[in-house]
Amino acid sequence: MNSEYCLEINNSNKTFPGVKALDNANFKLKKGSIHALVGENGAGKSTLIKILTGVYKPDSGEIIINDEKINLNSPNDAILKGISVVHQERNLIGRFSVGENLMLNNLPKNSLNLIDYNEVFKQSKKWLDILDLDISPETIVSDLTVAKMQLCEIAKALSMESKILLLDEPTSSISPQDANNLFKLLKKIVSKEGVSVVFVSHKLEEVFQICDYVTVLRDGKNACESEKIETLDRKQLVKLMIGREEQVVKSKKLFENNNNKILELENINTYLGHKSINLSLYKGEILGLYGLVGAGRTELAKSIVGIEKIISGNLKLNSKSIKIHSAKEALEKYKIGYISEDRKKEGLILMHNVLDNTGITVWSQLKRFFNFLNDSTIGKKVTPYIQKLEVKTPSNYQLVSNLSGGNQQKISVAKWLAAGTDILFIDEPTVGIDVKTKGYLHELIIDLSKSGTSIVLISSDMPEMISLADRIIVMKNFIIKGEKNNDHNYQSMSSSIMEFIHD
Amino acid sequence: MNKIFSNLFKKDWFGLLIVVIFGALIISVLKPAFVSSFNLYVLMSSISLMLIVAMSQMIIIAIGQMNLSVGAIGGLVAISFAGLMEVYDMPIFIAASIGIVIGVSAGFFNGYITAKTGISAFIITLATLYVFKGINLGITEAQPFYKIPDAIRVFGNGKIIGPIPYLIIIPLIVTFVMWILMTKTIIGRYMLAYGNSIQSSELMGISSTQIVITAHVISGLLAGIAGMLVVCRLSLGTPNIGDAWLLPSFAAPVIGGAILAGGKVDVLATALAVVIVAIISQSLVIFKVDPFFVQIFLGFMILFAVLINRYREYQEENKKKIFVHE
Amino acid sequence: MNIKLPKFLYTNQFGLLCLVIIFALFFTFVTEGFSSRFNLYALSRVASIDIMIGLAMMVVILTGGLNLSLGAVGVSTAMFGGWCMESLSIPIIPSIFLILLAGSFLGWINGYVTVKTGVHSFIVTLATMSIYFGLMTVLTKAQSFKNLPDAFTDIGSMKIFYRYVSPLLLFSFFIGCVLYYLFRFTDIGRKLIAAGANPSAAELSGISVNRMFIYCHMLSGILAAIAGIMVTMRIGAAIPSIAGHLGFDWLLPAFLATVLGGTLLSGGKVTVFGTILGALLVTLITNGLLLLDVGIFWVRFFLGVILLGTVLIDKARAYFTEKNIVVS
Repeated sequence: MNSEYCLEINNSNKTFPGVKALDNANFKLKKGSIHALVGENGAGKSTLIKILTGVYKPDSGEIIINDEKINLNSPNDAILKGISVVHQERNLIGRFSVGENLMLNNLPKNSLNLIDYNEVFKQSKKWLDILDLDISPETIVSDLTVAKMQLCEIAKALSMESKILLLDEPTSSISPQDANNLFKLLKKIVSKEGVSVVFVSHKLEEVFQICDYVTVLRDGKNACESEKIETLDRKQLVKLMIGREEQVVKSKKLFENNNNKILELENINTYLGHKSINLSLYKGEILGLYGLVGAGRTELAKSIVGIEKIISGNLKLNSKSIKIHSAKEALEKYKIGYISEDRKKEGLILMHNVLDNTGITVWSQLKRFFNFLNDSTIGKKVTPYIQKLEVKTPSNYQLVSNLSGGNQQKISVAKWLAAGTDILFIDEPTVGIDVKTKGYLHELIIDLSKSGTSIVLISSDMPEMISLADRIIVMKNFIIKGEKNNDHNYQSMSSSIMEFIHD
Repeated sequence: MNKIFSNLFKKDWFGLLIVVIFGALIISVLKPAFVSSFNLYVLMSSISLMLIVAMSQMIIIAIGQMNLSVGAIGGLVAISFAGLMEVYDMPIFIAASIGIVIGVSAGFFNGYITAKTGISAFIITLATLYVFKGINLGITEAQPFYKIPDAIRVFGNGKIIGPIPYLIIIPLIVTFVMWILMTKTIIGRYMLAYGNSIQSSELMGISSTQIVITAHVISGLLAGIAGMLVVCRLSLGTPNIGDAWLLPSFAAPVIGGAILAGGKVDVLATALAVVIVAIISQSLVIFKVDPFFVQIFLGFMILFAVLINRYREYQEENKKKIFVHE
Repeated sequence: MNIKLPKFLYTNQFGLLCLVIIFALFFTFVTEGFSSRFNLYALSRVASIDIMIGLAMMVVILTGGLNLSLGAVGVSTAMFGGWCMESLSIPIIPSIFLILLAGSFLGWINGYVTVKTGVHSFIVTLATMSIYFGLMTVLTKAQSFKNLPDAFTDIGSMKIFYRYVSPLLLFSFFIGCVLYYLFRFTDIGRKLIAAGANPSAAELSGISVNRMFIYCHMLSGILAAIAGIMVTMRIGAAIPSIAGHLGFDWLLPAFLATVLGGTLLSGGKVTVFGTILGALLVTLITNGLLLLDVGIFWVRFFLGVILLGTVLIDKARAYFTEKNIVVS
């Protein structure tokens, strides 16, 4: 039976502690097509890709490759079955050369059964040329820019000459020109060599540009399956992705500028590479920092709170010049806090319980004689905040690792509320969070700013940004590209922001 | 010409080679006894022994792990080798083969448990350190094996020509094989890939289990060979062989530029590091310095070497940071 | 909280307590002399030391690191103390104070080098182990201090509770209580644990992780010094071999006590009670095996097997309880 599909995944389920990542999800790839897989962060795209490439095993469901039911137990199995992938994160061996990385799966040998490096470089050059990459195969990977690394990984995937190619955000770091070259190439191999491509991307323009079909995942389930791309427009696609009209929370009043600059950055250059950053934060406002991945916003926030170094320029708090050397100093001396974007690694201590996680910012405040500090003292201080945020937990002693993603995020916010900071940096607060909690956190952020906390909101979520921020600053490549007061009108704001980014 | 020099300096072994040459020159001038045939012979003998020990740890460092049981394996194989010959009158070749089997098995044991359970190699080899040492002591009851065949005695103490001992043949072969392994064989490159990034190497289809077990087997094998060489040198199989290997086994690869996180080792530099440490230890004896200073000195050297390696990694990171934003 | 059975019964520590009792009973019945006054007294002295070195290792494992130099620190500070008391004729109390100071200083060096250079404490303490031991040997010319003040050595041979127990054991329990208080009821204890559990999160939450790690190493040094003092009291002299070559002899009991006790080697979790029980278990088993004529040489083998078995069981347990709700 020669079905028209080269790859199928049916009724796939995958659960991780606290979250059901895939819920009876389906995906069917037609031979010789480019098929887009889209969805918000946390919708399940990465999980699906990881199942297709043997990184995860599904709890249930089947995988069919070329009409054969297959079990993929390791990435090697997927490679052997003819699936090549370029993952979202970079996966090259930094200390090896480009050539060696490209050929690592089938290194050419000489008569002594030793690696023939001349052949390695010769064969890899071929694949670098196909993508028009001007890189010598002898270059060490760690000497490359992230953009070139991503292109090398794409070259490597192509070199495997597999019939099924999975690309997860393949243009996240490369220039528009390189992206266009890539698309031309993809169209060529699909039509001439019968390769089938799964294309995962946040950039809907690209999806409409090159894809034939689209499958949308939302909260782990199929919002649509194998729809012909011509039958949808952007608005409909977005609606499928987020489950409602792309709307803006209109309940926010325009910010009344009180001219009270609580924080100022004058000509700041940082160790991580920011140049001439000038910005001001007014008391009680929500200042949005928008940008794509790699723009440098998180790094800027970390530099301001003292985790990374500022090498020149002036930082002013309430018009007084200050220097912040550590997050401890930022919190205790200047009442500035930072809610990390990576709650699992930086925001929370997963192996500890709710009480220990929420109280961590206030232990110093609460201690008494001989440093005495017991659970009930901490409980008295932080439980109100845990309750206010409606965190679903059986007790304060529940391990945070056992909470759902949304509740975990609430805890990582609760501890900063308990700390009572004047300025709060909030970094990507709703990534991978369910819609209900997302709305809840948005209300919370607005309430916080109304009660006097000045907030810097870092987000790559355009609708979120346009709902919440009073002013939006756009960053790219570690510099500021533009600034605009927010009138909460999605059309005009999103196009201004896009202009700043793509100029 | 400048470019050639700056490229050479980037190589780990070049700087060490300079140190070796200059160091040897200075010492020979200060104490001519250093270059006496006898002294050079002693120097080369001690280098022979430590070279294989260093390689045994180096390959584990390459995959980003640590093997605390190298000395215990070496000691166990040493007493087994000597004991089989003394107690059962086994011919050298058979006893040596059994010794190799013991070394390989011990390494396999370490590697298998580490790979299959995911517990860090550090913990596993800390436990097996005591297990192997315990077996060693249990068998020997702290008594050495004395009766060693004459052939061994001759091999361990004889010279090929001038000051060059027979003993050095095997370590030189081992070093050469390790160099080929790490630079030109698929398994060696896969090991370094694994050491660089477990995730990336797994995604590329490299089998972690295979890598870990292979590395530990080689480590055990080399530790065993080193143990047997010590028996040849001492003409004795004493239970405390291997007790003092832990620190030097780390010192040499690290001084040779290895990164403990894995993925970067240099065979030639490690070998030169062994030479440097041996020269310095010898010199301390010649200069009549208290031998305990060697311990203190080794400790400082290891710290110093790790610091330098970290500093160089740090510089590389920085170069990358500035480069990336364009 | 409304629970049917006391939570304690589900914990690792309870299991250990049972094991301790079971082994004690086992050895009493199976050997001659285990429960004799003489043996139990000797046991209590060894246990007191094993507890201290277990705790010394535990506070560094808390940071996710290791202190290989604790034996070297113990013997160096003990020799330093012997020198103070014998050669400089400094009275006992100030000498003890100086010993503890020396221990915290050596621990500080370990901690400072570890945090400032970013090098793993395994390597740092591997190096300092040699440096401290070497310096001690060179400075003291490997000679012992045998003429220590009587009052000092008398404590080592004191007997209480009808001559069954050494006061040193009670003192170890007391230190255990102090540490328990530190980690459970002080803000600094919580900070130490948070820093060890997730250094990035702790740092971002306003904890000075580097400083916390240095404190842990200093504490380890002090505890190792106390162990050194105890051994000296027990032997009646300050000799360079109390912890073996480079201090290696202390490492196995230190690790065993900590691992058996349930402290996570990855850091972030401590259990004082567990470590004490672990140390007791190690002492008991060693003593019992010796009485059973197993021979000192095979004992080490057994302990190694126990260590291996414990980490394997621990891993298996983690694997199987991954899906269940575990309350701390």
